Amino acid sequence: MSRLYGDPIEVWVRDGQPAQFVWRDRLYAVRQVQDHWVVAREWWKTHDADPGERRFWRLEAAAGRDVGTYELRFDTASGGWLLLRAWD
Amino acid sequence: MTSFTHLHVASAYSLRYGTAFPDALARRAAEHGMDALALTDRDGLYGAVKHIQACHAVGVDPIVGVDLATETRPARPGDEPARIVVLARSGGWAALCRLVTAAHHAGERGEPYVTPGMVAEHATGPDGDPRLVVLLGPRSGVGRAVAERRDEQARTLLAAWRSVVPELVVELSDLFGYHEANIATRMLALAGSMGVPAVLTNAVRYLDAAGHQVGNVLDAARKLVPLHTRHVENPTAHAYLKDGQEMARVAFKICGGDADRAGRLLARTRRVAEQCRLDPVEIVPLLDEDDPRLHLPEIGEDPVPLLRHRCEDGLIDRGMARSRDARERLAAELDIIEKKRLSGYFIAVAGITDMIRSMGIRCAIRGSGAGSLVNHLIGIGEVNPLEHGLLMERFLSEGRRGLPDIDVDVESARRLDCYRAILDRYGEARVACVSMMETYRARSALRDVGAAMGLPPHEIDVIAKAFPHVRAKQISAALSDLPELRDSGLNDRGLQNMFRLAERLDGLPRHIALHPCGVLIGNSALRDRTPVERSLLGFPMSQFDKDDVEEAGLLKLDVLGVRMQSAMAYSLKEIERVDGEKVELDAVPHDDRPTYDMIRTGRTLGCFQIESPGQRELVAKLEPRTMHDLIVDISLFRPGPVNSDMVTPYLEARHGYREPFYPHDRLKDALRETNGVVVFHEQVLKIIDVMTGKGLSFAEKMRRTLGTPAGREIVRSWFVPLARENGFDDAAVDKAWKVLDAFGGFGFCKAHAAAFALPTYQSAWLKRHHAAAFFAGVLTHEPGMYPNRVILDEARQCGVDVLPLDVNRSGREWLVERTGPVAPGGPGGPGIGEIGRGYGLRVPFSAVKGASDAEVDRMVAGRPYTSMADFWERARPSRPTAERIVEVGGFDALYGLRPGEPRWRPGELTRRDLVAQVGALDRASSTGVAASGAAVQLPMGFTEQVIPGELPEMTEVEAVEAELAILGMDVSRHVIAFHDELLDAIGVTRSKDLLKQRNGAEVLVAGVKVATQTPAVRSGQRVIFATLDDSTGPVDLTFFESVQAHTAATVFGSWLLLARGVVRRTGGRAVSLRAVRCWNLLDLDRLWRAEGIGAVRAVLNEQPASGTGVGGRPIEYGNGFRQSPYSDIGPTPGVREGRIRGHPAEPQRRLWHASSGSSGPPPGR
Repeated sequence: MSRLYGDPIEVWVRDGQPAQFVWRDRLYAVRQVQDHWVVAREWWKTHDADPGERRFWRLEAAAGRDVGTYELRFDTASGGWLLLRAWD
Repeated sequence: MTSFTHLHVASAYSLRYGTAFPDALARRAAEHGMDALALTDRDGLYGAVKHIQACHAVGVDPIVGVDLATETRPARPGDEPARIVVLARSGGWAALCRLVTAAHHAGERGEPYVTPGMVAEHATGPDGDPRLVVLLGPRSGVGRAVAERRDEQARTLLAAWRSVVPELVVELSDLFGYHEANIATRMLALAGSMGVPAVLTNAVRYLDAAGHQVGNVLDAARKLVPLHTRHVENPTAHAYLKDGQEMARVAFKICGGDADRAGRLLARTRRVAEQCRLDPVEIVPLLDEDDPRLHLPEIGEDPVPLLRHRCEDGLIDRGMARSRDARERLAAELDIIEKKRLSGYFIAVAGITDMIRSMGIRCAIRGSGAGSLVNHLIGIGEVNPLEHGLLMERFLSEGRRGLPDIDVDVESARRLDCYRAILDRYGEARVACVSMMETYRARSALRDVGAAMGLPPHEIDVIAKAFPHVRAKQISAALSDLPELRDSGLNDRGLQNMFRLAERLDGLPRHIALHPCGVLIGNSALRDRTPVERSLLGFPMSQFDKDDVEEAGLLKLDVLGVRMQSAMAYSLKEIERVDGEKVELDAVPHDDRPTYDMIRTGRTLGCFQIESPGQRELVAKLEPRTMHDLIVDISLFRPGPVNSDMVTPYLEARHGYREPFYPHDRLKDALRETNGVVVFHEQVLKIIDVMTGKGLSFAEKMRRTLGTPAGREIVRSWFVPLARENGFDDAAVDKAWKVLDAFGGFGFCKAHAAAFALPTYQSAWLKRHHAAAFFAGVLTHEPGMYPNRVILDEARQCGVDVLPLDVNRSGREWLVERTGPVAPGGPGGPGIGEIGRGYGLRVPFSAVKGASDAEVDRMVAGRPYTSMADFWERARPSRPTAERIVEVGGFDALYGLRPGEPRWRPGELTRRDLVAQVGALDRASSTGVAASGAAVQLPMGFTEQVIPGELPEMTEVEAVEAELAILGMDVSRHVIAFHDELLDAIGVTRSKDLLKQRNGAEVLVAGVKVATQTPAVRSGQRVIFATLDDSTGPVDLTFFESVQAHTAATVFGSWLLLARGVVRRTGGRAVSLRAVRCWNLLDLDRLWRAEGIGAVRAVLNEQPASGTGVGGRPIEYGNGFRQSPYSDIGPTPGVREGRIRGHPAEPQRRLWHASSGSSGPPPGR
């Protein structure tokens, strides 16, 4: 079972992919990208010329010896990362 | 690492789907270091020629394919049909063309599709060699089955394709949508397990990610739905032309991080690309400039001796057998024609023009083809080039790249008959029409974007119609530049997104249409060279436009429908019917004095080419006396001559105000006919030929180069040394060069003008000598720029009686009737106001708004009628049509009604009583009768009896209002007559009295607006020319930018105008006004009725509020000519139609004109 969070997090990116992130004061190292997809914002509902897109990553990551699967979201408009869900 | 090749790319020629043009895609591919690029547009090869040219230009190998639907109806409503991509293998172009043609033949128009069987039929050549490669991607039936985890079905479908198509691959793509990578991974596994190769594509539809929003809008526009995630085809912005590295990352991802598998996927993609590279010159022969392989018509025997014989015969028939000039010219022309292997083309075209004439259709050559003696000798054209000094080189020359184009004008009403005859004669395998792409402009873009964004339809309508006919990318500029839009309230922030997106649609192809004139003439292999689909009217139509067709080495003939030819044909029939006189129009002498006298007074309304306000002013100044003068006049009234300022020096020299200027004595021959001013292309050729001695073909090549500033520099570097070598001194060379430089590649082809001058003269001759029949033809076929009410008024002013609709006398079209004795011919014949005396024009049934063709047929066939009930039963009109006919007086004669007379008393029958009777008849026939036709007879006794005088008669004003609303013209009285009292009170000058005004006088004028034009003028301003009609003649007004801030909205927004202007005499018999102020006459009329004459005078004396004029930077041409970006595009229509300011009382039909020119293809009737 996954749990929903939506916590702002800090992420380090290498080669266009998340490599490490800090969530709730723990450092996670990305071991494998399981899935990656993009959702474009519904620009026609806003007045912004380009509301950007949201990039989703489903990752296997480890903090120390604890391994889990995490879903991260990057919003190109705000430039911020969120941790959406976790399976751990 | 070797480069990636995109195998699935949609350009803007995927209608309402793609967003990028082929040249941009090819350039980007080259920038990415790619050595090949495919174009696979949806449903056709519309962009293929442009793609191949673009690839050739940047050194990329072209690959061409098509993206086709495989089902007519999608499995689930709302889905798009499943699609496959078919690529032509090297040497498979013909198979691809034929598959596309077959797909269009199988589906409904606009919904082509293929089945595996159809693809199989074209996929291999006669020896079983593969010609096509089929790609089954995520949007194919197989891909969809995989996505929905119907694995067994996916296997079955793939196996079915594999069994019929030898070259089959599975296409993987991942645009980063949710689950897309997963689907691709599973498709890769499926392909592997079935032993089918897999390739990677990016299903490209954008040049870069910024194309995403445009793509979304196009999705909504194509599906006719508002924007919603569910309707958007691509949820992400990743369907762009990615570079090789990005594509490698995609491959890596699909292969689950397995670098070996990813490498194999990319290698397979490259191998398929290798097999599909096309030879550009094979498909686009004109890329090979030296020896293009043309697609020539078959004529059954060796065309070279055949053409020679035909020309020999022609020399004898035309009486030129003994002329040395003619023989030398013929030898030179044949030499070039045979070198270019075009003999068969000329034979084929002559066969077609002979056939058209034998069908009794008027047919005339137009354009540069008139300059060829061969065309004259074999009967294609009636203009003798030697008589007018026309040159062949302007039409066809040795150095000229590209193909000659023969254009012929036929009666517009019979153009499609001509097409059918050509198709019957040569067969659909050899002949096809040319298509053209209709592209997004401001108004269509606003409509589609507005609908996509879910705006209410009426708001979209108001917004779209507020804009002039500008390009979509000029929308914001127009909003801030034009005074009439600046104050319209459209600049609201809420609409900015809409305007921004509409601008992005600029120039994208929107739908394909039949080109108005081009017909391809080829041989039985035509359909190996171009795909063919059906036009709306069922004609076979190439998917290539006129430029593509030429580049593809296909020969065409332009058959233009010209309404004036139809109008003249109709006039001739009316003359014969009414007067029993058979006029041979082509045999009429070309020196008729009364005709030229009429032209010189500017009374040319209705005549071909010379009826616009500007032309009326020019003919009045130029005072033509011969055919040659008309040729010059037509040539001068073009943007080129106007902006190179040839008009003033020509007129001054012509009327002897100054000496003609010749740069050199030896150039006198070339320039004498136009008093030293360069007017014609032919003169440029002669100047270059005389100065350089290099011949006319070389001169033509130079003339073509003169078009751009850079080109002029090149020409100068050739011209100056060559002329010096040829023995001209520096001063002479300098003077001659100045003339060429100023001419700047503008000017007009004399052959074209000569071809135009003939119908111009013929139409003027008809107007002068058979005015009523002439106007009947013009009213019926509407060839010109003016609406019928203006033509009708001109007829009235020429003494023709205008006869109201009469159910017993009206016909399908305008008929001429004798009404009395003709005017006596004094010295010089009758005055212009008398030329139509003795004849009347009868309003036809077809002028009644809403009357269907079938109704008109029955009404004409059933004449005569004895009563309203008789008419109702036998003509069976719809109720609204019957009511309209009563309202405009169709029964006045039958019942002796005289509306508008003050003597009406209760008890006398009125039009309103008859309208009530129509209602009674309608009720009677709908209740008692619907069941059986025979029962119609029963209620006769009741309905025959009209109870008179229950309702009052229509007033004169109401009668004219009804005429304007129903017929679109004022028949019984001129509308301005209702304002006479007010106009007299404020001292308005009438058109007929303007000539008596001194130059510079400031006067008030009034009238119905009949035309507004914003042509290109020398100053680079947007100048508005408006013509008013005040029942005594036209009043021409010029609004310069300085006054437009307070006048533009009124000029465009009102149809009855009062204006103050300064008199400017422009010729012996012509006057025009420089407008200072203007008002809506209807507003003043209301004010006058409410508050009296004092209030009106106060308004007239007010100072206008100051405002800024027209913005926008003028477009600068190389020769210093500046043009307003808003010239030549007509007024802003929404304002014109009164929608923004709102004058609900105005008639809804088009009562005035707002387009330019009177020639060219007719809009659909």
